[in-house]
Amino acid sequence: MRRGIVALAVALVTSAAAVPARADLLNFDLAGRLYTKYLYRNNDSQGLVSYGNPFWTDNISGDNGVGTEFELKVFGKVSKYVQAYARLQSRFGELWQDWWENGDYNASGTNTSGESEGMNHASYIKLRGTWVRLQVPTPSWWTHTLTWGSSDLGMFNAWTVGKVRYIDRDNGKGIFINGNVKQGFFTYDLAMIAMPKLWVGPWWSTGIGDPNLSNPFWSQDWAYGAKLNVAPDWGAFTLISILTNDVEVDRTDPDAVGSTYSTCKDDLGNPIVGCSKDNAVDTFSRFWNSVTTLEAQIDPLDWLSLNTFIGLSVQGLDDRLTANGVEQNQGVSPVVFRSTYKDFYKNADGFAFRQRFDFTTPVGLGVKIEYFNIGQEFNAIFGARREADVLLTEGFIEGGQLPTLNLANEFIDFDEAFVESCIGWHGATIQPTYNVSFPHGTFEVAAEGTLFSYNQNRQNRDVDKVYPDFLHSDGFTDTDLYDYANTTDRGRDPRSVYRRNQDRLSAIGVLNLKSTLDFYKGIDLGLKGKFIWDRDWRSHLTVDDDYLGKIVQVRARLGVGLADGLQGELGVQKDWWFENGRKGTLVTSEDGKRLVSVTGYNDDETQKLKVFFGLSYEYEGLKLRYRFEFLDKDQYREPADRNQHWLVFRSKASLEVNW
Amino acid sequence: MRSVRTVLVLLSILGVTGVAAAARAEGVVSLKDPSGDDNGPGSYVYPTDAVYAAGAFDITAFDVEVKGSDVTFKVTVRSKIDDPWDSKSWPGGGNGFSLQFAQVYIDTDHKEGSGFRDALPGLNVRFRPESAYEKVVLLSPQNRPRLQSEVAAKAGALKGAVVIPKSTRVQGKSIVATVDAKDLGGVPAKGWGYAVLMQSNEGFPASTDLLSRKVNELAGQHRFGGGSDWECDPHVIDLVAAPGKGGADEAKAQHDQLAYKCDANNPDATPKVELPMVYP
Repeated sequence: MRRGIVALAVALVTSAAAVPARADLLNFDLAGRLYTKYLYRNNDSQGLVSYGNPFWTDNISGDNGVGTEFELKVFGKVSKYVQAYARLQSRFGELWQDWWENGDYNASGTNTSGESEGMNHASYIKLRGTWVRLQVPTPSWWTHTLTWGSSDLGMFNAWTVGKVRYIDRDNGKGIFINGNVKQGFFTYDLAMIAMPKLWVGPWWSTGIGDPNLSNPFWSQDWAYGAKLNVAPDWGAFTLISILTNDVEVDRTDPDAVGSTYSTCKDDLGNPIVGCSKDNAVDTFSRFWNSVTTLEAQIDPLDWLSLNTFIGLSVQGLDDRLTANGVEQNQGVSPVVFRSTYKDFYKNADGFAFRQRFDFTTPVGLGVKIEYFNIGQEFNAIFGARREADVLLTEGFIEGGQLPTLNLANEFIDFDEAFVESCIGWHGATIQPTYNVSFPHGTFEVAAEGTLFSYNQNRQNRDVDKVYPDFLHSDGFTDTDLYDYANTTDRGRDPRSVYRRNQDRLSAIGVLNLKSTLDFYKGIDLGLKGKFIWDRDWRSHLTVDDDYLGKIVQVRARLGVGLADGLQGELGVQKDWWFENGRKGTLVTSEDGKRLVSVTGYNDDETQKLKVFFGLSYEYEGLKLRYRFEFLDKDQYREPADRNQHWLVFRSKASLEVNW
Repeated sequence: MRSVRTVLVLLSILGVTGVAAAARAEGVVSLKDPSGDDNGPGSYVYPTDAVYAAGAFDITAFDVEVKGSDVTFKVTVRSKIDDPWDSKSWPGGGNGFSLQFAQVYIDTDHKEGSGFRDALPGLNVRFRPESAYEKVVLLSPQNRPRLQSEVAAKAGALKGAVVIPKSTRVQGKSIVATVDAKDLGGVPAKGWGYAVLMQSNEGFPASTDLLSRKVNELAGQHRFGGGSDWECDPHVIDLVAAPGKGGADEAKAQHDQLAYKCDANNPDATPKVELPMVYP
């Protein structure tokens, strides 16, 4: 008997030992990440990101510092059909030199108490995102999931709802339905997204900070999106529609906080007809924006691909609920200001059309051709703000072109590219490429030719009250040395697509040569030349304000594999900018038909030399990156005492491990 | 009218150069694969993120050509190959596509016991004894240093078999990789066997996977679904099955080859499925 009990116990222990730990782990998956960034420059700003918040002063941006963030992702498998996810992450902004800061904020300024810099410097752990997902039991040819919580909104496109960048990927939250029939032959997405109160709307908010609102209301602001996709063997058709709706309370409702008629009596104490309290508050739409796109991808032949894109954006705003950001914020506004309160058909709307042809041949020759025409009032307020690109052309700056005034060239470092708005662009691009291989390597030639005009070309446009010009609409943009307030003549704001007087035509030519050599760990050689011709006849009342910009840029790069996982890079770039009539002041009569005065519009020349080198190393899960940059910029302006010079040394390094 | 004529001339030039090039190349292998079988053993589904377009991992053809001392491997899929993650901007630059990662295993001697049987880590498959391979060509969007580093760290024992192409590029629906014939041990010959396995490029792979994307029980935003959360399922989305004519029976053959059954008591110890090669 006793022997039997022992044997049973041994059997139980043995069988338990064979399975146990796994049973727990099956339901629980953890992933961790540590990321450390070093940022240094020969100036006196302190912080961990080169370009911070351009509007609100923050205490984390600056060019000198080192800090670390920690991330913990928890995946749970609740049951066969239910999954869950949560991500905890520390706040990025604490410098190692902070030693410790407990997050208390001292309004009198920084001191040595360790209680003065606020939560930004406390590295506190924050719940960054969560979701719960139900996979509805369906036949194997149909998957249907419902997700409650975080999403990077990547199911839509840059024209409608932009995919949220990686570091912010869990900020967007909502309810999402996704379906897939017959392995992608038909897919659908439906979404109800909580609108970000921070940027989707006039005044870059859904009410906060709007001078017309004393009690901003954002908790019922939602965006609604739908996407249908059909993908036969020979192509794909995608229809996407999105509506953002920012609602505010009706301040005339006697039940609303701060109501103008809270007692249902007028200033003389007389009862207001029809006014009565019912303990319910009515709401109106302050701002809405709808974008619908249809994209057809057709691949009739192995060597030919066609892509047709059509888009329509419409927006409406109620000037009772939003103040005029063009008029009251120096022309810095993410929307064209035209109230639809009394006349719906005064809405700002715009079409977009894009046609692409993509030819490829077995001999390595390929040609892409694109025609594009984006309406001057097209605006995707919830569209991609960065890290996306809707046109083939490299554009004026290298980060990509997006059809929104709501670009976000912020919270980025000096080595990240800027994006620019392409609203109103109308033209065509041709991009031939040729690849050839030889015994110990390959050679690639890629070129671009783009010629385009602007649908905004017009005289005496109302940039005082209707069209935002972002205050700085002249001169080639310097993204190497950008400053939001434009105190150093950094040129046009990348969002500035409206100008009072414009008659502009631009051309861009790019030639890229690249060779890879199969020696040792591999060698890459790259040579790039870029030329921009930018002509704006501006006001037709005079030739004295005419602009002609000729930008030449040459870059050479050498990449070398130094060892397994170790790669080095060395490069040099030289810029010459010749700008006639870069900027000035033109004064006309009130009706814009008579010239009063022209001042400025001198001929400026800019030269920049950039030398950079970098190293990247990966070993056993350790990732190291380093980039150093030397930048020498001379801006020659008339008269000579306005010349400017920059001599910059800056570097960035990162160390990352994931487990 | 002039613009129409210009387009016609352009098309003619492209067509003529294509034909001329085709004439110069010597095709040694041309296999077909049925469309719609990009479901591994029959149950796999794509990740849910919108970048994973229908047909992106669905092999429809595999071609090997010899041009002088160069050998090109061309893997064609059902949909146009895009670059949604902008591979050119990756550290060191990528190869112009983002999603696909095709591995071409080559048996140059067709001798049992000669060569390697374990596929690269992350795929969870082996090859049958008579189909052991001598070389594996990586058609990846990652650049050479990244591939070298991954191979050194995770597949050191197979390092001698791995061939990293001197160029990998996209041509419409095809990924075309060029390697020196000497890296294969010679020009492809009659009797060589091929196994073309399709996976997805994972830039942030698990420590045990060589740039491959996992297959789980439920699909995730960036995980295939329809498999197992353990490592007992083959992480192969599509492959070219014999005889390589593209017939519907080849889809069934693929499903049979990739069929697996996890050991309930110790799933990760489940013997890996063993694949045959195609000997054209």
